[in-house]
Amino acid sequence: MKKDLIYRAEEDILKLPSKLDYKLVLLENHEDNIILRDGKVEKMLRATSLSLAINLFLDGRDGFFYTNNLQAEAVSKFIKEAYKTTRLLEPDETRTLADPSRYYKGGGPDLQNFDATFSEIDPKEKLDLLQETASEVDGTDQRIISMQTRYTDRQHQAHYLISNGFDGYEESSYCTLTSIISVEGENSQHPMDGWGESRLFFAQMPRKGIAPTALRRTLQKIGQRPAASGRYRMILESPCAGNFLQPMLNAMNGQALQQKTSFLLGKLGKQVVSPLVNIVDDPLIPGTRGASLFDYDGVATKRRELFTEGRLKTYFIDTPMGKKLGMEPTTQGIHHLVMEQGTMSKEDVIRDSSRAILVTDFNGGNCDPVTGNFSYGIEGFLIENGIITQPVSGMNITGNLLDVWQRLSLACNDADPWETEFIPTLAFEDVAFGGC
Amino acid sequence: MFPLTSEQLNGILATALMQGGEYADIFIEDTRISSMVLQDSKVSQAQQVCLYGAGIRAVKGTQTGYAYTMDLSEKAMLQAARFAGSMFGCNSCREAILETTKQLCTSNPAETLSPDKVRQLLLLVEQKAHTLDASVIKVKAYVSQRMQEVQFASSDGTAFHDFRPRTSLSISIVMERNGQTQMGYASRMLQMGADFFSDALIEEVVREAIKQTDHLFSASQIEGGEMPVVMAAGSSGILLHEAIGHAFEADFIRTGDSIFTGKLGQQICNPSISIVDDGTLPNDAGMLRYDDEGIPGQRTILVEKGRLNSYLYDRISARHYGVEPTGNGRRESFRCVPIPRMRSTYMLPGEAKEEDIIRSVKRGIYAQSFTNGQVQIGAGDFTFFMKTGYLIEDGKLTRPLRDLNIIGNGPEALQRISMVGDNLRIDHSASMCGKEGQKVAVSQGLPTVLIDKLIVG
Repeated sequence: MKKDLIYRAEEDILKLPSKLDYKLVLLENHEDNIILRDGKVEKMLRATSLSLAINLFLDGRDGFFYTNNLQAEAVSKFIKEAYKTTRLLEPDETRTLADPSRYYKGGGPDLQNFDATFSEIDPKEKLDLLQETASEVDGTDQRIISMQTRYTDRQHQAHYLISNGFDGYEESSYCTLTSIISVEGENSQHPMDGWGESRLFFAQMPRKGIAPTALRRTLQKIGQRPAASGRYRMILESPCAGNFLQPMLNAMNGQALQQKTSFLLGKLGKQVVSPLVNIVDDPLIPGTRGASLFDYDGVATKRRELFTEGRLKTYFIDTPMGKKLGMEPTTQGIHHLVMEQGTMSKEDVIRDSSRAILVTDFNGGNCDPVTGNFSYGIEGFLIENGIITQPVSGMNITGNLLDVWQRLSLACNDADPWETEFIPTLAFEDVAFGGC
Repeated sequence: MFPLTSEQLNGILATALMQGGEYADIFIEDTRISSMVLQDSKVSQAQQVCLYGAGIRAVKGTQTGYAYTMDLSEKAMLQAARFAGSMFGCNSCREAILETTKQLCTSNPAETLSPDKVRQLLLLVEQKAHTLDASVIKVKAYVSQRMQEVQFASSDGTAFHDFRPRTSLSISIVMERNGQTQMGYASRMLQMGADFFSDALIEEVVREAIKQTDHLFSASQIEGGEMPVVMAAGSSGILLHEAIGHAFEADFIRTGDSIFTGKLGQQICNPSISIVDDGTLPNDAGMLRYDDEGIPGQRTILVEKGRLNSYLYDRISARHYGVEPTGNGRRESFRCVPIPRMRSTYMLPGEAKEEDIIRSVKRGIYAQSFTNGQVQIGAGDFTFFMKTGYLIEDGKLTRPLRDLNIIGNGPEALQRISMVGDNLRIDHSASMCGKEGQKVAVSQGLPTVLIDKLIVG
């Protein structure tokens, strides 16, 4: 990483007419993308990007500036313009850097989350992996219209320099292999679905099973139609369960609370969801996505309870919001979320369900941040007497997010350890589905 | 102005073609975005962003090699060109012969508003909101001014240099009445500089945000099910964007993924329906003098009197089908490969009066404003989220409604449009469309239409 660039930018700031606080983050990302379409390379993309993010703090004024033109002259000019803009702002005494006593000061586990070899791996090796993946389903089913197999790897490095005493470096990586398949369906429809898996290191990447899973998921969608409107048990499949938690995480954000646009306002410490909900944010688990020793403000991370037996245990409060709300600052958001699993498999839960809908994906919709009322389009499968009887789509689920989360009846044992959010398949009772 | 001469650009294009590519292009960009936020009655946050770099693409048939660099030196761009061209792997290919460069257009940068003027304008927004409704307790307002400078050159001799301004104003309002809180939102976005702003525009957007928030206090959700839906003129154009627009993008046609594959020339809906995708509307967010592949901005008739007339083509898909590109090759930035995207998508007006359309419905909903939507290209199933609307009972608007997801199938929904109003309105809200991780500015429009049956819930 070209660390001299950040110290050169610091020198430019120190030359400004006023003494001011600053946060500088030099970001370097390297990305390779290879897309195979029906056995042939369709796209090959390589990108390395270097950019500089700058926060200037001047007597309660806070400006944010970002540039990827890092020629010395361009950066100097950019910082002078940034200073002029910052001066024009109205002071807001809450907008300051974090208290330096909260900064990460070294130590902690080796996070084991950076593969330095991505850019050194022969592209042919990545292409071989793709072709191996695609070949698992090539010619196995005449209904296949098109298959895209995609390999992506990404290295992220960031160097932080904060004027009140933080100088830190972090790095992370991941690679993803995805297969997306469309097939001939009923009534001229072309059902499409996919499957992908991510790992932190290239050597961990699975070499089998991704394309067959994508094909199986796609074929299962043939004949999708809405089921009858009514109230069903909702079994929410692990890969999309996080989407149903996201509005709750948004509502824990300090800005939403301060602006009175959060349905979790005034609920800290209270029972808000089912007692089965135990969720922590744990950034210090080695070998996981999102693991980090410090957050974007340089503040040392730690394991933090979000929900314990259904009680809301924390909000996401940064330094300015802490001052505005008169609360102790916590952190800006999640790093690596872990929800406590149960012991049953998804298949067991399906077998135990007399009338349910297994939701495998969301299709549009929204959740009102003030009330928590939501309506989401879904697709998945109708379950009757423990058996999947029909693929469904064109249906909505509606309700209030807190109300539905209070009706969580069990968590399965199938969370994906390689994702940023470790959330298993979940079952909720008596959920309103709108269909035909 | 960018540092490279046309001779140097030609050298880079030739390098990209050295290993067997048939076509190459260079997209150089210098984008400045400045924004300011008013919150808690103070303009205390500002952002400035500079995006600077070049993307180099080599194409052979439907295969693409791509690399970008933020170093605009000839050396760095030649290196990117070598990578882009390397995927074709022909080491014995002859040196490419480039077409003579034809400079298509050079535009001038638009003037932007100074940060101090933006600050004053934001304070005016807050003042206006409190004046218009005493129950307003919070105002958040955001102004973004973007100026994108683009230089483009391709191996077929196309070249242009263009300035693309884009300015937006977004306002969210929190109101409190009898201990109940609601939040509404309104925005505008146009390809204009400082002349985007006027007192009338500010008043219009503030009023719209207040009207939406006011509606939410008395509105409720309804029991889901199938029912007739009257789509109000304007932002209901999201119906076209999701129900057919994406599925008309020719990359999805080429791969066979789209439900509209193979339907060119076929009657797909009522002959009273004609739909266009237009890159020529002055100042519209989707307006393009030239697209990001050097194709002139144009108006494309997608559906003419119910017949599927054209897909939305970029260069690769047009060449695949042996037709002319329609100017829909767009990209978010130099970091991205251009792909077929919409511009301004709207339905041409019919003859019905809105009141007659509403009067024809026994029980259904009148959908007025929307937030987001999405589509499944292969199945054609789309959804869009209605923020505000009304229940229709016995031909009259009755109960205020909110927060409903509307679901349909693209081809079916088109066939179920039974009345088209005479009141086409293009919606100029700040609307960004996402595809393959790239966001581009679009707009959409619709006259009031009646769809006989959709799933609402």
